[in-house]
Amino acid sequence: MYASEIDMLSPRSLLECLYLLENEKASFRLLAGGTDAVVRMKEGKWQHDYWLNLKNIDELKFITIEKDEIHIGPLTTHSEIISSPLLQDHADVLVQACREVGAAQMQNMGTIGGNIGTASPAGDTIPALFALGAIIELTSITGKRQVSAEDFFVGPGKTVAFPNEIITKISFKVRGKHDIGLFQKLGPRKAQSISIVNVAISLSMKEGTKECLGGRIAFGSVGPTVLRAKKCEAMLTLGELSPDMISNISSVAWKEVMPISDIRASASYRRDMASALLERGLYRLIKRWADNERKPF
Amino acid sequence: MKENHFKYIGRPVPRMDAPEKVTGTLKYMTDYHFEQMVWGKVLRSKYPYARIKSINTSKAESLPGVVCVLTHKDIPGFNGFGIVVPDQPVLARDVVRCTGDAVALVAAETKEIAEHAISLIEVDYERLNPVTDAEFAMSSNAPSLHENGNIHSHVIIKNGNMDTAFEEADVILENTFYSPRQMHAFIETEGGWGIQEPDGMLTIRCPGQYAYRDRLQIARALAMNPARIRVISHPIGGAFGGKDEITVQIYLALLALHSGGRPVKIHLSREESVIAGIKRHPFKVEMKTAAKKDGTLLANQVRAVADTGAYASLGGAVIALAIEHCCGPYKIPNVDLEGFCVYTNNGISGAFRGFGVNQVCAAIETHMDMIAEKLGMDPIELRKKNAYEKGERSSIGHELKTSVGTLKTLETAETCELWKNREMYKKNISEPWKKRGIGIATSFHAVGMGIGLPDYGAATIELLPDGTFKVGVGCEDIGGGNSTVYAQVAAELLNCDIEKITVIQGDTAETLDSGTVTASRSTYTGGKAIAAAVPHMIRVLTEAASAQHRVEPENILIGENEYYAMTKNGEQVSTYEKLYAYLHENRLSTKVEGHFMLPKEKEELPQSGGAPHHLYGYLTHLALVEVDTLTGETEVLRVVSIPDAGQVLNPQGLEGQAEGGAVMGIGYTLYEDVLMDGGYHQTANFTNYIIPTIRETPVIETFPVESTEETGPFGAKGIGEVVMIPIIAAIMNAIYDAAGVRIMHLPATPERIYKALKSRDVRQ
Ligand SMILES: Cc1cc2nc3c(=O)[nH]c(=O)nc-3n(C[C@H](O)[C@H](O)[C@H](O)COP(=O)(O)OP(=O)(O)OC[C@H]3O[C@@H](n4cnc5c(N)ncnc54)[C@H](O)[C@@H]3O)c2cc1C
Repeated sequence: MYASEIDMLSPRSLLECLYLLENEKASFRLLAGGTDAVVRMKEGKWQHDYWLNLKNIDELKFITIEKDEIHIGPLTTHSEIISSPLLQDHADVLVQACREVGAAQMQNMGTIGGNIGTASPAGDTIPALFALGAIIELTSITGKRQVSAEDFFVGPGKTVAFPNEIITKISFKVRGKHDIGLFQKLGPRKAQSISIVNVAISLSMKEGTKECLGGRIAFGSVGPTVLRAKKCEAMLTLGELSPDMISNISSVAWKEVMPISDIRASASYRRDMASALLERGLYRLIKRWADNERKPF
Repeated sequence: MKENHFKYIGRPVPRMDAPEKVTGTLKYMTDYHFEQMVWGKVLRSKYPYARIKSINTSKAESLPGVVCVLTHKDIPGFNGFGIVVPDQPVLARDVVRCTGDAVALVAAETKEIAEHAISLIEVDYERLNPVTDAEFAMSSNAPSLHENGNIHSHVIIKNGNMDTAFEEADVILENTFYSPRQMHAFIETEGGWGIQEPDGMLTIRCPGQYAYRDRLQIARALAMNPARIRVISHPIGGAFGGKDEITVQIYLALLALHSGGRPVKIHLSREESVIAGIKRHPFKVEMKTAAKKDGTLLANQVRAVADTGAYASLGGAVIALAIEHCCGPYKIPNVDLEGFCVYTNNGISGAFRGFGVNQVCAAIETHMDMIAEKLGMDPIELRKKNAYEKGERSSIGHELKTSVGTLKTLETAETCELWKNREMYKKNISEPWKKRGIGIATSFHAVGMGIGLPDYGAATIELLPDGTFKVGVGCEDIGGGNSTVYAQVAAELLNCDIEKITVIQGDTAETLDSGTVTASRSTYTGGKAIAAAVPHMIRVLTEAASAQHRVEPENILIGENEYYAMTKNGEQVSTYEKLYAYLHENRLSTKVEGHFMLPKEKEELPQSGGAPHHLYGYLTHLALVEVDTLTGETEVLRVVSIPDAGQVLNPQGLEGQAEGGAVMGIGYTLYEDVLMDGGYHQTANFTNYIIPTIRETPVIETFPVESTEETGPFGAKGIGEVVMIPIIAAIMNAIYDAAGVRIMHLPATPERIYKALKSRDVRQ
């Protein structure tokens, strides 16, 4: 079968899309921005019968706040996230991660749903979603279920979603004014690069101090899925986040990751870089906190 | 820029091709689609080294939509190509030597059918152990990949007495340098069109760097009169040397002969381009350099091994140029230099901007930096002390008869703002783990061909009915901007507005053979050829004006955009249109030619492979870098490029080259390498082949020093290659200045720098 023979269906509503997905005789592949999908298609990797084009389903594109929760539609592009004042205020770590996705072209086309759907261990938004404690909503014709970002990914390219399910919402709690976050990426260059290691950090700080009341740290590209660094997290609250403390916390990071060697970097370098990025990230975050600029924008 | 009385020369004339390239309206050849076209595909070898036992094409032939399937049996002429020795089969017959080897060709109704057909061709291979290390390839244990063994060429230059030199020395440095397999990474991958015209003529439209030579190589494979082949090689979506050799021209020609007169298109995917396209030679350079306490260089011993991959292409010339340049623009009295160009099963290496000099410059300029440090000397002072001047002898022992700008470039470097304030820049770090450093390096690059290769240029100028001139130069514009320079030279000398000039390049039907666009030669060559043609055009126009107005030619004056005849009735004006009309009515030619030979050295250094050259361009680079010692990342913050290009014809064009070259040099030093394992490419495409983006592009300043080259057009030399050379060592030296580690295995990736930092910290 040739790639040009794969037909494309463009449902007008979520419901229509879900109906189509129920057809067990045909195989489908969802198409959002296409920045991953088209690459796979060209490589001849995917041999499905139909593309299900989500572009026309406006109900999947939103950024809203309801009570203490932020909701993002999966069809929201990285650029839309970057320029959202709401997310700049409440999800700095995600905004920064989206800024690191490829370059302008990818950010304009690529969506957060697609980044999650691809489920790459190097996907840049995923550690940010871990750090925010995000919940991913899956919908099929029979109903909805909520899965936490941490439970969503099974392995490289694999998620808990069934073939008839689609991601319909990403949500997380709004952040208090002492919650600060940061995303750090090490790639082979600054733009258009796949992460060698990335890390998302989210901290709740005690006002007027460098003490941390709790936080989340998630690493990408150092294991089969994005990983939480729970030992490092536990150390965050041991004392004031001084440069020495930061260095101590960071030195533990290598114990939490299980990278492999590939063409981009060796496992041992990746392991050391988990520590380096965490150190750099915590240093920058605390400096920002101390300088009292909650937003890096 | 000095004041001059010229209208166009030395002025920042905007590039003629800029608007259509910037707006995207220019269609490159591979952008076209035609009615009735067929798609061509190439079957590449499955293995880096294997014997072919049989090829069965029957399944592919019977696939609906397939137009033809061709193998070595379908080659009417000589089954080989290669600029110097045609050792690369057009289509492999009994052996494949790299995964880029072509085994069969298909033409089909669609690209997908062609791809499918390719997968149906059954090739029975007997796998052989690939030779993937150049040093091993040279040993007696390695199987011979070609008839005459694996050493394609061996060049030697000796001068002085090495033994005593090393005894006298106060400082001796000995190091080994490894360089990457850089990819040209042009935007437009190899591709083009072939069609057999109804009269049997073949037209091949395929971006290249020398249409006339491509035509000869096609003709040889097809056993066809070259006059019956037209090659159009322009416009080009980038080349950098990577389209100097045959790319797909012969495949297009073969398929066109079997496609029933339908146009056939081949356009390599990036992945196929990576596998089949040529690369920069990875080098191993062992260098031992000696100096006296006062900084005088005493001796340099070099052994360089270049991995040319499966076929020679221009590998022999690359290693020869490397050895000619490996002592830098210095006068080292005692040298013992040798280079080997070696066959392996690692793809194919060939021409690439810099042509071997990049690899050796990295070594000598690192040694210069180390010597300066050991002696506590200023690195610029050390270079100035050893640089040769015009009239002096270079390290390889020949007297420089043409302009030499090294000293001027070094003096400019010394007084530039970045160097003067370097301590301030170095202190100016943003985070505690960042370290800044500034490095300097200088180098040179030959302009034109070496001894043994005829080097000539030719141009045509034709007056058109609308009173404009069509200037034809064989040399393509591979992105360097020579078309604009050609228009400037023609307009200046014809004394007309530049708008009246159209430049035609790279078309065997429209232009004369003017040699290749390599060796930094096309501004010099094309410019001189136009200058040679202009007097003929002026004579044609003067004679026409004199006949038209019935006055002696002495009474004709050349004005701006028109000619004046001093007649009895006063001054009469002849416009170009009127002159054309006169020439046309009287069936007189409106087209002239200009030819010239490039000057050369007379005596070749024995065994050097063509050294010395007659002309060289010189350049000094400064680089400011910041190293993140936590991660090993290096950022180049500022670059100063100080070229000696002779007289600058177009400052804006020069800046374009200087900036593009600097960025390419940054890529070479920090990011780029096509990784191979066991003869297979590990780097598949741009996902992992990292070239600098605008975010890796620093502020680049260009300060040309002008050392007039008497023989050049308006005093110009060539600059296309040297602009990317010293920056490599400048960055390496800056990394050392910043972080205290010497990375001698490029690219200096974050991981390599980090590891060097880590092992240094362990040692300390
Ligand atoms: C040059 C380049 C650079 C890149 N750089 C980066 C980078 O730096 N960091 C990074 O993380 N990624 C990068 N990417 C990958 C890609 O751009 C991102 O992953 C992007 O977010 C994918 O979004 P998309 O909308 O284009 O997804 P698509 O390609 O449309 O889809 C991707 C996958 O998600 C599935 N999918 C899409 N929407 C849904 C949904 N609502 N529910 C369930 N499944 C869904 C699709 O079926 C498909 O399997 C890069 C890609 C390219 C080509």
